[in-house]
Amino acid sequence: MNLFVADLVDRLASEYVLGTLRGGARRRFDALLPAHPALQRAVAGWEARLLPMALKAEPVVPESRTWKGLEQRLGWIGPAAAVPAPVSVKLRFWRLVSAFASLAALALGLTLRLAPSQAPMIVVLHATQGTQTIVAGLSPDRERLSIQPIQPVALTAQQSLELWALPKAGAPASLGVISADKLTALSRRALPADTRGLAVSLEPRGGSPTGAPTGPILFVGDLSL
Amino acid sequence: MTAARSPEDADARLADWLARCALGDRDAFRRLYDATSPRLLGVIAQLVGRGALAEDLLQDVYVRIWKAAGQFRAGAGSPMAWLAATARYRAIDHLRSRATRPEVAVADLPVRGDGDDPDDDPTHRLPDPGAGPAGALEARSQAGAVQLCLSTLQGAQQQSLSLAYYQGLSHGEIASHLGAPLGSVKTWVRRGLIALKTCLERSGWSEATS
Repeated sequence: MNLFVADLVDRLASEYVLGTLRGGARRRFDALLPAHPALQRAVAGWEARLLPMALKAEPVVPESRTWKGLEQRLGWIGPAAAVPAPVSVKLRFWRLVSAFASLAALALGLTLRLAPSQAPMIVVLHATQGTQTIVAGLSPDRERLSIQPIQPVALTAQQSLELWALPKAGAPASLGVISADKLTALSRRALPADTRGLAVSLEPRGGSPTGAPTGPILFVGDLSL
Repeated sequence: MTAARSPEDADARLADWLARCALGDRDAFRRLYDATSPRLLGVIAQLVGRGALAEDLLQDVYVRIWKAAGQFRAGAGSPMAWLAATARYRAIDHLRSRATRPEVAVADLPVRGDGDDPDDDPTHRLPDPGAGPAGALEARSQAGAVQLCLSTLQGAQQQSLSLAYYQGLSHGEIASHLGAPLGSVKTWVRRGLIALKTCLERSGWSEATS
């Protein structure tokens, strides 16, 4: 990186962190960040430099209903269990519910092909970065699992997606390689009884060579209902 | 982790919780929330004021933290800096989408270390997670270095940076607030940041320990 570019990167990063980079420039910067380690380093440097200014703010203990609302928005508890929340939170919750319902309907359709007479459990796996989702349907006996990315996941020819069962304790157990764009049906691979979540990691083609996740976790979803 | 904890220990703990969050560990998320939410709400409240809106934005921030926890790379920076920045960016995004905002009192801005008294409101001051005496001293010297460097800036540069950072004002808003041309404000902000960085480097600032 030449001096001119390095200077520009540092300047953009500093104004991004300060907050004076606005509008289209800020959106473009946001879009460039994930793919540019030099930008990330510059941003992290400025975040650290300005952190003492942020921490001068007097701490404010959140109300307990803020945590409840958070659990609700993450889909961890139903609305009935939560205390009344401000209107805007409720609105957003219902938007989330309707988005979830359409995903669930899709997954339901997928799973019914496998288990026509039983009601499946639906698990939504959220991207750890970005907004993509993968929907999984699990048969009540937990022995059949169908899974499909809602949006195709971009992979190179040398990469595969691998699905993992996350136990309450201990190491993730591989459930196999899944398709990046189509429905994958996994059967006779009973989920460990204490599985509390599912995760999808990026692995070398054909799956992890070690039996444990080796690449970044791209999607996670919760199973403990 | 029972003896005096250094900032590195506290950072390691936060980084560990973030890594567990990326794997869907709700307990780790709860611990992270308990340890950091008063700080982050403070950061948000500084920009948008206390109340339901700030709490709402705090939820947005933690939803994002939960989903983007895998994005934080240990070694790339301090987890607390990443968390605080995530909170600031959400509040700034909100300000950006808002047309009007309360008047800013320049005199209230904590520029020269005023309001730095840890006893000013003990009920709202929580112990810094994991910061023992050594950690507190370290954090204090880092914050002190930034305050000291800010105080060496020219008045206009200092004022511009403070308005941007503490009030989330844009170049244009700072210009109308100070009654100065937009071009001058842009120059003050840019030169102020460069001067701040140079001053911190001279004072032996190290990102690794921040």
